[in-house]
Amino acid sequence: MRDLLELTVSALASGCIYGLLALAYLLMTRPTGIINFAVGEWGMVGAFGGFVLLSALEVPYALGLPLVVLVMAAVGWGTERLTVRPLVERGAPVLAPILALLGMLVVFREIVSVGFGPDPRPVPGALGFGRLELGLIAGSYQSFFIIGSTALVFVGIWWFFERTLTGRSFEAVAIDRRAAALMGINLARVTAMAFAAGAMVAGFAGVLVAANVSAHFMMGLPLAIQGFTALVIGGVGRVEGALLGGLILAFTEQFIVRYAPIPAGLAMGVPLVLLIVFLLIRPTGLLKAREARA
Amino acid sequence: MKSLAGYFFAAVVLSAIAFVLGSYQTDVYRKLLLWITLALSYNFLFGVSGQVAFSHFTFYGIGAYSIVILTTQLQWPLPLAIVAAVLICVVAALVVAIPATRLEGFYLALATLAFAQLFVVLLNEGGSVTGGTGGLANYRIPEIAGLRITGPWYTIVIVVLMLGTLAVLWRLERSHFGRACRAVRDNPEAAAAMGVDPRRTRIVAYVISSALAGLAGMVYAFVDNTVNPVIFGLENAFLLLFMVIIGGSGSHAGAVIGAVLLYLMPFVLSPLIGHHHALVFGLVMVLAVLFQPQGLIGLWHSLRDRRAASAGRSTP
Amino acid sequence: MTIFSRALGVSLTRLSLGLALAATAAVGTAQNSVRIGMITDRVGPAKPYAEPVAVGAAFAVKQINAQGGLLGRQIELLTEDDQGRPDVSATAARKLSDQGVAFILSVSLTPATQQAQSVTLETKTPHMTPSNSGDTLTTQIDNPNFWQTGPLGSTQIATLLAYARSKNFKRVALITDNSDLGQLINRFFKAGLEKAGIQVVAEEVVPRGANTAEPQMQKIRAANPEALFMAGVLTPENVLILRAYRQLGLKTPVLGNYNLSVPQYTAVAKGLLDGVVFVDAFDPAKAETARFIESYRKDTGNEPYNLMGYGYDGVMMVADAIRRAGSTDKQKVREAMQATTGYVGVMGSVGATYQFRDGKRTGFDPNGMVVRVYEGDRQGRVVHVGLK
Repeated sequence: MRDLLELTVSALASGCIYGLLALAYLLMTRPTGIINFAVGEWGMVGAFGGFVLLSALEVPYALGLPLVVLVMAAVGWGTERLTVRPLVERGAPVLAPILALLGMLVVFREIVSVGFGPDPRPVPGALGFGRLELGLIAGSYQSFFIIGSTALVFVGIWWFFERTLTGRSFEAVAIDRRAAALMGINLARVTAMAFAAGAMVAGFAGVLVAANVSAHFMMGLPLAIQGFTALVIGGVGRVEGALLGGLILAFTEQFIVRYAPIPAGLAMGVPLVLLIVFLLIRPTGLLKAREARA
Repeated sequence: MKSLAGYFFAAVVLSAIAFVLGSYQTDVYRKLLLWITLALSYNFLFGVSGQVAFSHFTFYGIGAYSIVILTTQLQWPLPLAIVAAVLICVVAALVVAIPATRLEGFYLALATLAFAQLFVVLLNEGGSVTGGTGGLANYRIPEIAGLRITGPWYTIVIVVLMLGTLAVLWRLERSHFGRACRAVRDNPEAAAAMGVDPRRTRIVAYVISSALAGLAGMVYAFVDNTVNPVIFGLENAFLLLFMVIIGGSGSHAGAVIGAVLLYLMPFVLSPLIGHHHALVFGLVMVLAVLFQPQGLIGLWHSLRDRRAASAGRSTP
Repeated sequence: MTIFSRALGVSLTRLSLGLALAATAAVGTAQNSVRIGMITDRVGPAKPYAEPVAVGAAFAVKQINAQGGLLGRQIELLTEDDQGRPDVSATAARKLSDQGVAFILSVSLTPATQQAQSVTLETKTPHMTPSNSGDTLTTQIDNPNFWQTGPLGSTQIATLLAYARSKNFKRVALITDNSDLGQLINRFFKAGLEKAGIQVVAEEVVPRGANTAEPQMQKIRAANPEALFMAGVLTPENVLILRAYRQLGLKTPVLGNYNLSVPQYTAVAKGLLDGVVFVDAFDPAKAETARFIESYRKDTGNEPYNLMGYGYDGVMMVADAIRRAGSTDKQKVREAMQATTGYVGVMGSVGATYQFRDGKRTGFDPNGMVVRVYEGDRQGRVVHVGLK
């Protein structure tokens, strides 16, 4: 029983990371239709930012983490400005910015690889690496921190979309770009904000996960794929879907590894099979968008 | 209008090159021809049929592994093995295409991405059949009627493969089927209204492109006489997409140019820039997409149109 | 002229340009220099391990050249980047062969080294890998021109088992990652364990990109092993394993392969290493090793660590073979390399030597590894040497 509960905490934490990455995709895809594969690399940049500020410069966590997130906002905004805006303004097909961002994926990875070298770098945990036991439930400090902070992020983003005017303009753009523009919503600003927000969320996830796994230059692609899978499962329509998708992915993965009597190597195929099953049976994901307009 | 004479001429020229190249240059040349072949078939899938798929390299791998397993482990004669391997690719393509073509745009991309990764997982777990993570090595191309094709003669096989693929795709593109593919790509509802079955068209396009990729894979298996899961991984799938985009999607010439440029670029960049060649590569990708979304062939067209216009003649 | 013919022409021009560039490198044969080739991964997944080995190799070349060179000529080290891609590795091997190198060193992913062998088998260019520990590299392809001087997975497990003999393990667990080398070492660890009559009660894999190893470690805990053997080679994933181990309060002895000897662990696995047993082949107290550390420090101002030693030894052994052959003739060098015996390098315990016995092409002394234990986060003392 203890194993089960402890595994639950672990799966919750992993699911939150996947959910954050799915959220990053979602924030950018909803208003613009652009799939930014570089979110994984953004997570990596955030992780290295965490290394520089928190490990190397030993800035206190409460100050360092927000700083990393702010820097990531600039990174996201910059990426949008340089590689997406010119294409959108020129009326290029939707595929073009996606490809430009794939190119940026390589650029980000190489900058980090050349700048920091190939060795993994340590990133501290938010509250250290102790073990917390609440009755039968147990997990690492970092796991609980991840769960708590992710919950805050999701609540905050949900509230932003549901209750604030700027947030609802995002929704408007997501539902119908042209109508939104006609209503006076500044599309360029929404796009820039979407990318900045996506980068912030991705970078945040990167710092959190790097505490456990270290910051290394190859961590981007797995993060991107995990986030994607979570997004498909949960559905692009709603913010909650990202978290739900992440949790389902993590729980399935971890519980199968732990309890299913299949060889370990094959257990790695589980997320892929899950993804394929969802794509075939329910490509729009579990949660539908509010007003579903094609 | 590509005539038989044109193909023959190209075959002779490209084959003749095979006899004057040194060992390293031959290797570069052979792999370049294979990449061109892959780019051509991928261009049909992506550019003409409008399907964003990441499974092309997977079929390259299925073809390669199939031919090796059939000839070395089951000891089948080469002609039979080739037919069987093509059949395996076709069946695999159908298994993927039939459910996947229901999906739109990036969902299809995702499904094929997942399939590509699943293939690698299966290869790794395949034990002694697939050689696991180390792959299969230590085999040679089997003899046909006592003859073993090696050296520049094998390069000619690759030339024939490339030109054959081009011929098939050229024909296909200009045929009714090609027009149907483009119609489905641009406006599936209108195409359906005109009596074209979008799903069937997509499935057939997917199967044909993938089978051609598998065929190329069979030829590749005997270039280095090694197959392993790493060769057929995801990185190459992205590279292929870039080749077609940079060259100009929807155009055969574009696919060729894209393949030549992107394949040779690291070789040229590496001695010049050393460590940082991958970074430059990424930057070039971004710049190319930013400044020339129609690909290089689009640039070519606009240059040619401009020249024709300035000479006072209308475009041919 | 059709568009296609035009495009073909353009492509051929480009092709010729590319090949011409490649060809210029082949012109200018090894007249005044001895050319040695190195294929390494500068951008891909093998980079963390390839880079330090390549650095050690380059340092050795520099040292030899400073002391008068090889056969009276300077060594020219030609480095190719295979990006961790096996097909590019094969192409790089061809390029180096065409450039007339006397020897090729492969410092990259295991499948890449394997694929390069298909080339050196054909061109008969002497070829070696100084650091790779995959046992099948010399067996899957029967390439008489290829040698391996890295510490084999089978040697690593044998050394660990020799150390653990007194503990009388009967039931153990194995954990690794899904990299090609990790899987290979796992295979040979398992074989070594089973040969010693030890039962493997749990075998788990942590895939690349995982963000936790708790499910795998929980499963291992449930199987109640007497020891845990780590066969993986990816540092981030190994860190996850160690973290989960502490998190779950496991107390089973942990024994790791030589990957756990790289100094990066001290930085990224703080607080997780105390008591972890691992194999290594770097004894700073050994005379040759101390000299190497001293000269490296003096030359670069940095501390070297074990991976560099492998590269250094590789080049030194190649140079030694060429010296004994008296020329760069492939056949003579081949024979000289195979005849290498009693060579004392930087790596290996005191008294260990490199040699290629009985026609085998793996050179690392089976008795040449040491077993050390982490004390706190520092690599502690040597607790066992060799296979006794």
